[in-house]
Amino acid sequence: MSHLLGGFAVALEPLNVALALVGVGTGTFVGMLPGIGPINAIAILIPVTFAAGMPPESALILLVGIYYGSQYGNSISTILLNVPGTASAVVTAIDGHAMTRSGRAGPALAVSAISSFVGGTLSIFGLALFAPILSDWAIRFGPAEYFALMVFAFSALSSFAGGSLVRALASTGFGLWLATVGLDPNSAIPRFTFGRIELLDGMDFVVVTIGLFAVSEVFHLLEERRDGSAETAVTGRVMVSLRELAMSAWTMIRASLIGFLVGVLPGAGSTIASFLAYSTEERVAGRSGRFGEGDIRGVAAPEAANNASVSGALIPLLTLGVPGSGTTAVLLGALLGLGITPGPLLLEEQPDLFWGLAASMYVGNAFLILLNLPLVGIFVRALTVPRWILIPGVAALAFVAVYAVAGSAFDLVLMTLFGVVGYIMRKLVFPLAPVILGLVLGPLMEKNLRRAMALSGGDWSVLFESGIAVTLWGLAAASLLAPFAVRRLAREVPAEMASEEH
Amino acid sequence: MRTGRIAGGVLVVAGAATALEASTFDVAFMTDPVGPKALPYLVATMLAVAGLSALLQPEGEPALPGRPAVARMAGALLAFLAYAALLPLLGFFTSTTLVVTVLSLLYGGPLPASVGSAALLSGGLWLLFVQALSLPLPVGDLWIR
Repeated sequence: MSHLLGGFAVALEPLNVALALVGVGTGTFVGMLPGIGPINAIAILIPVTFAAGMPPESALILLVGIYYGSQYGNSISTILLNVPGTASAVVTAIDGHAMTRSGRAGPALAVSAISSFVGGTLSIFGLALFAPILSDWAIRFGPAEYFALMVFAFSALSSFAGGSLVRALASTGFGLWLATVGLDPNSAIPRFTFGRIELLDGMDFVVVTIGLFAVSEVFHLLEERRDGSAETAVTGRVMVSLRELAMSAWTMIRASLIGFLVGVLPGAGSTIASFLAYSTEERVAGRSGRFGEGDIRGVAAPEAANNASVSGALIPLLTLGVPGSGTTAVLLGALLGLGITPGPLLLEEQPDLFWGLAASMYVGNAFLILLNLPLVGIFVRALTVPRWILIPGVAALAFVAVYAVAGSAFDLVLMTLFGVVGYIMRKLVFPLAPVILGLVLGPLMEKNLRRAMALSGGDWSVLFESGIAVTLWGLAAASLLAPFAVRRLAREVPAEMASEEH
Repeated sequence: MRTGRIAGGVLVVAGAATALEASTFDVAFMTDPVGPKALPYLVATMLAVAGLSALLQPEGEPALPGRPAVARMAGALLAFLAYAALLPLLGFFTSTTLVVTVLSLLYGGPLPASVGSAALLSGGLWLLFVQALSLPLPVGDLWIR
């Protein structure tokens, strides 16, 4: 805990407090707007943090703030309009919108903000507690273990992405193919560069991410011609009675635990966390519950769980350097770009970075409860901004961000091509997150495989030698069977929703 | 059914092309036992397996967009490509205002308001990125000459 106190010295620096506020405010905003997810906002801001020469811990405080802030905002449009801001708020719609229909939007928004706060803050303890333990364990990892761990990350994301494993396999393959583009670091021969010098350095993950997610969304939203603005008003004050809050206290605590644990698992993420927490609470409440008809616990459970899952997901990212989702893969790319290599040594060598981030999450959650309780009306008004202003604005931000990566117009063409590819993939329900994971993790995976094989002199059995490696291979195999188990436990996650998991 | 088969076919062809191209990645001396071909071959296998299984078991048909929607999307695509061509020439402010106006119109915005909001946005971004964050954005070759 003394480490965490040291972290506050970093988190409370004026610049970092301001960046936490900007991060969580942006997060609430993009989380709330359907179609603009945190992954877009993070990818767009990465070149900005590089160009501004921010210290790594400040950049991370900003980017991670967007990530957890979006889990607060996503419930606003869900509750008021029945349009989930992100996939992890889908299940909140059931009881949240039922409450709005019966004129109780105020209490629904209030309990959503409070349970987000409970999930967000409780899970930071988990992060502070478990990250050092996992670091100590992972210090024994060699290249063979890392290779197996990355295979586990890919198989887990593919199986939890929902929908067909075949499509996830194709998406992962596409991502790994993108990772091979450019000069091979070992032999220095160019691979798949199509004779373009711009591609010798490889595909930039910012260009790919913005193309696949933001630009494809600009195309996708053109399909439906309707004005995106909606008439919304918060009916009644954003308040909740103490009786109702007490009723959902245990729900919030249980859901936080579930969300945190699911978040640690690679691939599972906040959508599965919220579905699992909701169905657990539905079961616990039994006959006494009014789940599906506006039970306040039906809002508290998924909102606590999806916020808690974010802290969980940061653990493998920071201590192993292996992300489990599209958004955390983009964060890994940002860290590598800032010259930070996440892994078991991070906590020892960069204590300011890790503990400063953990402490700043308390600062960010305090801002979020303010933004989402007394100031929620400001955000609700943003829902009335017409689509013809909002979406072209996103396109303009994408232009600036992609141009800032290398100052090249070629990247803008590349971004547009990835926008077309992303649109086609969305249409055919191919998941997008594995592409980003493959692109960011591919070079590390290849490096570790080649290092392991160089050490063993070409003997493939080295990959299965240690107990840790065998366990990880076993987990990779088991994760492919896990969806069948989860489907029995949780309410069915609609495939097209889960595949949009950012 | 049909789009599923097409996607499967594309994946199989992509896998084959990847493998074919990877077979040319010959190095004079191997620095490591794995070499630069292994990952591309793995990728080729993944794409081919996914493609074949999509060919054999094609799944449901997606809702294809109608003709007006396709026209709007084609317009947006052209606007994006035009932006890449115009940016070095006309500079950030002019090209962003132009292209964002076109996108706003495609999204059904009224003409005067679209031009106005696009110009405001471009000016705001210019101030934010160039003045506040000192990130260089092109001024435009046309104006410099």
